[in-house]
Amino acid sequence: MTDGELDFDAEELAMLRQLFRSEARDALEAVTARVLAGGSAKPPAEALTEMMRVTHTLKGAAGTVGLPAMVDLSHRLETALVALGREPSPWIAATAERLLEVLDGLRGYVDHMAEGDVEARAQALRGQIDQLVRPTWRVESQPPASVEPLLEAEPDTVPEPKPWLRVEPQRIDDLLASAGELLFDRTRIERRVQLLRTLAREVAQTRQTLHDALPEDPDGSDRDDDGDHRDGDGDRRDGDRRDGDRRDGDRRDGDRERQALVAAEAALAGQATLLSQTTAALLDEVEALRRTIGELSHGLTRIRMEPARSLMAHAARTLRGLRRATGQAVELRTFGEAVEFDKAVAEQLGDPVTQLLRNAVAHGVEPAAERVAHGKPPGATITLRARQDGSSLVLEFSDDGRGIDTAALRKRLVATGRWNAPRAQLASDAEVMAALLETGVSSRKEADELAGRGVGLGLVRQTVARLGGEVTVSSQAGKGTTFVLRLPLSATLAQAVLFKVAGQVYALPSVYVTGTTTVGAAAATSIVGPDVLPVLRLEQLLGHGAPNDRRPAIVVSFAGKALVCTVDKIIGAREILIRPLGALLAPLTLYAGATISGSGKVQLILDPAQLVRRANLEAPPARLGGPGEGATALTLAGRALVVDDSRAIREAMTSMLGSEGWIVDVAEDGARALQMARQLRYDLVVTDLEMPVLGGFDLIARLRADERLGATPIVVITSRANPEHRRRARDLGVRALVAKPITRRKLLEALAAR
Amino acid sequence: MPELRNVIVFTIGAARYALELRWVREVVSLGFVTSVPTAPAALGGVCNLHGTIVPVLDVGALLDGVSGSAARQGDGALVVEAEAMVCALRVDQVDHVASLHETAGEMIDATGRPLRLLDPALLLRRAVELVAAQAERTERVERVERGS
Repeated sequence: MTDGELDFDAEELAMLRQLFRSEARDALEAVTARVLAGGSAKPPAEALTEMMRVTHTLKGAAGTVGLPAMVDLSHRLETALVALGREPSPWIAATAERLLEVLDGLRGYVDHMAEGDVEARAQALRGQIDQLVRPTWRVESQPPASVEPLLEAEPDTVPEPKPWLRVEPQRIDDLLASAGELLFDRTRIERRVQLLRTLAREVAQTRQTLHDALPEDPDGSDRDDDGDHRDGDGDRRDGDRRDGDRRDGDRRDGDRERQALVAAEAALAGQATLLSQTTAALLDEVEALRRTIGELSHGLTRIRMEPARSLMAHAARTLRGLRRATGQAVELRTFGEAVEFDKAVAEQLGDPVTQLLRNAVAHGVEPAAERVAHGKPPGATITLRARQDGSSLVLEFSDDGRGIDTAALRKRLVATGRWNAPRAQLASDAEVMAALLETGVSSRKEADELAGRGVGLGLVRQTVARLGGEVTVSSQAGKGTTFVLRLPLSATLAQAVLFKVAGQVYALPSVYVTGTTTVGAAAATSIVGPDVLPVLRLEQLLGHGAPNDRRPAIVVSFAGKALVCTVDKIIGAREILIRPLGALLAPLTLYAGATISGSGKVQLILDPAQLVRRANLEAPPARLGGPGEGATALTLAGRALVVDDSRAIREAMTSMLGSEGWIVDVAEDGARALQMARQLRYDLVVTDLEMPVLGGFDLIARLRADERLGATPIVVITSRANPEHRRRARDLGVRALVAKPITRRKLLEALAAR
Repeated sequence: MPELRNVIVFTIGAARYALELRWVREVVSLGFVTSVPTAPAALGGVCNLHGTIVPVLDVGALLDGVSGSAARQGDGALVVEAEAMVCALRVDQVDHVASLHETAGEMIDATGRPLRLLDPALLLRRAVELVAAQAERTERVERVERGS
C-alpha cells in the first residue's frame, strides 16, 4: 500500500491510524458480541444488520486512513454478512465458530498491521472470509450434537444508535483518584466536627458548673436584668456599665464580684448555645457533604461501569485458543452478559478467568472417550454466569468434568508435606478443596498435577482477595467443579506506597509521598534538599522499636508541611483498593482506611494529616511573641479573627491559618470585627487596612483602647505597605505588616515575628 | 419465670460464656490478625472476613478490663452482628449449642456450672466507648502538648 496519495503528513497519519486501530478493535468487539449472543444459531436479522453497519463503517474508516487491504477485508466481510442474512440463509451451526475465528484474525491483523508479512496474513483472512458462505460446508461439517444458544435470547438488547462521548480512560481515573482523596478529606472533617461537638457539650457543662457555683442572689432582681440584655450584645456592655454606675458605692466588694460572675455566666451561656447551634448546623452540612461526595463517587464509578459482555468475550476467545491447542471439544455457555460492574474490577479479572478456563480444560474436563463411557455427551460444557447480589458481583464458573478427587488431593497434601496425615484425615472435603486455592508460591516448582492446578488457582485467589473478594470451590465427583468468585461491584483504587513497620505492612497514599531517604540513629531532623524536616519515628508510633540504627524513611508532604517517617523497610508503590475500617475503628485518627493484600491480610492506610500533626508535636511549636510582654507568649494554635472586605482573601487566610491549627472567624469590616472581638476573646487579629464602615487603623486603635482587648496580637495585611503605614502600625503595637499578595510563607514569618 | 434461650457455649481463658445464637453469624477460624496500634487493648486487631474488615474483640478486656491472650491467626472466633456492626469475638473453645434457662443474666449449663450470658449490643457499645475515649485522649494529649 502507498501513502503517497493521502492528504496527511507522516505524523498525522500515524496518529490517525492509531485512532483507526482503536476504532476497529471496538467495531470487531461489537460484532463478536453479537455473534456470541446468538450462540451457534444465526443471529436475528437486526443483529446481522447492525453487524453489517459496523463493518461498513470500518470499511469507510480504513479507506480514509489509506489502508486498502483493510478496505478489501471489510468489504468481503460485509458481503459475507449480507449473504448470511439472506433467506434461505447459508448459515450453519459451524458458521458462528468460523465467523468468530475471522473476527479474531481481523483483530490480530489490525493490531499488527505494521509488522511482518502483512500481505500473507491478509491473503489468509480473505480465504477465511470467503469460506464463510461456501455451501460446501454443509457437506464437510456436521453440527455438534447439542446446539444451544450461548445466551438466552434477549430481543430487546439491540440498542438504538446513541451519540457517544469518547473519553480517555486516564481522565476518568484521575477524577476518581480525586474523588478518593475527597473521601479522606471528608473523614478528617467529620472527626473535627465530632471533636467540636464534644467540646460544645463540655462548654455547656462548664457553664452549668459555674452557674451552680454562683453564690445565692441576695435580691434576685439582677438576674432578670441580665436576661433582658442578653439578646443585644452591644447593649449588654452598656447595660452592665449603667448597672455599675447605679450601684457604685452601694454594694460590697463581694457583690460586685458576684455581678461579674453572673454576667460572665450569662455570656458563657449565650456562647455555649451559639457553639452547639453552630456545631449542629455544621453536622447537617457535613451530612450534606457526605451525600454529595457519595453521589459524586457513585456517579464516577458508574461512568466506568461496563457490562460483563467483554469479560465473556475474553473468555470465549481464550477458550477458542485452548480448544485449538488441546483439541478438546469444549463449549462455553455464558449468562448474565448485561450485568454491569466497575471497569477497574473487570480489568483485573481477565487473568483469573483465563486461569480458570485453563484449569478446567487441562484438569477438569475428561477426554471424549472417558466422557462417553460415563454416559456424558462427548463435548464438554463450561458455564460462566455473572450476576449481581447486593453490592457484590458473583461470577460462577462451572465445568461438567470429572470433579475434584478429594482422596487423591488428601494424599498429595500429605505427600508434599503441607498437611500432616491426621489433619488430612480429619478435614472435610470442603476444607481439602479450599486447600487447592491456598497453594503458596513454594509449590511452584512441583510439576505434578496438584501444583499445576494449585499455582494457577492460587493466583486466582490472590487477585480476587486483592480486590476485596473471595473464591469458593465446590465439586461433585464425576459431575463437575464450580468456582464461585464474589467481588465488589466497584472499587476505589489508589496508588499507595507500602512499607513495613514492626512486622506489619502499612500504606500511605502516593500523592502525599514525595520521596525516600535514610535517617540516622537518633536524628530528630533530616535534611531533604533545601529543607530541614522533622523526623517521625514510626517504629515507636506503631511498635515498640527503639531508634537505634539507621533506617530507611519516607518523605511525606501534606497541606504544605513535610516530614520524614522512619520505617523498617520500604516495599514500594502499588495500586491498592481502599476499604473502610468500619464504624468501630473510624474514630482512630491515625488511619484513613485499610486495604487487603493478595494473601488476604488487612493492611492499614495511615492518614498523612495525622503524621504531620504528630511530627509537629515533637518539634518545639512556633511561638508568637509580644514586644514588652515576652512572658505571655501565645502558642500558634488559638482563635483568630480575620478582617478583610474581600471574600477571597478571607477564604485564603482561613485556609492558611486553619492548616496551622487556628480556629478562624471572619469579619468583613472593622465595625463587625470590633463587635465580635468584644464577644469572644481572640488570640490573634489579622486585619486589612482599607475597609468600609471602620478601617483597619481605626479598628486597631479601638482594640488597643479597650482594656480587655488591648493586648491582642495584631497582624496587618495591606497592599499599601509604605513607610508611613509601617510607622503608624508600629506605634499601634502591630506585630507585623504583611504586604499583599499574601503567601503562606509571608504569613508564617509574620506570625513568628517578634 | 426463667426464660429458655438458644445459646452457644464457649470458653475464653478460665471463663465460660453463653451467647444467644441469634446474634452469631458464623463461627470461624481467624485469618491473619493485623494489630491496630493506638487502639485500646480490648481491640485485638482487625481481620479480613470474606473481604470485609472486621475488628477482633477481647471479651475479657471489654467486660472486666482484663486482657486475654492476643488474637492470632487460626484462633477460633464468633462473628457477631449487633448495633449495625459486625465484629469477631476471639474464643479459646466453642463447647456446644444448647437451650438453657436464663435468670437475670445468669445461666447454669447441663453440668450445673454457671455461665455468663453475653449481651453483644452492650459489648459493642462498650467497644465504641473505649475507642472513642482513646481517640479523644490522643487528641487531648496533642492539644495539651500544643499548649492550647
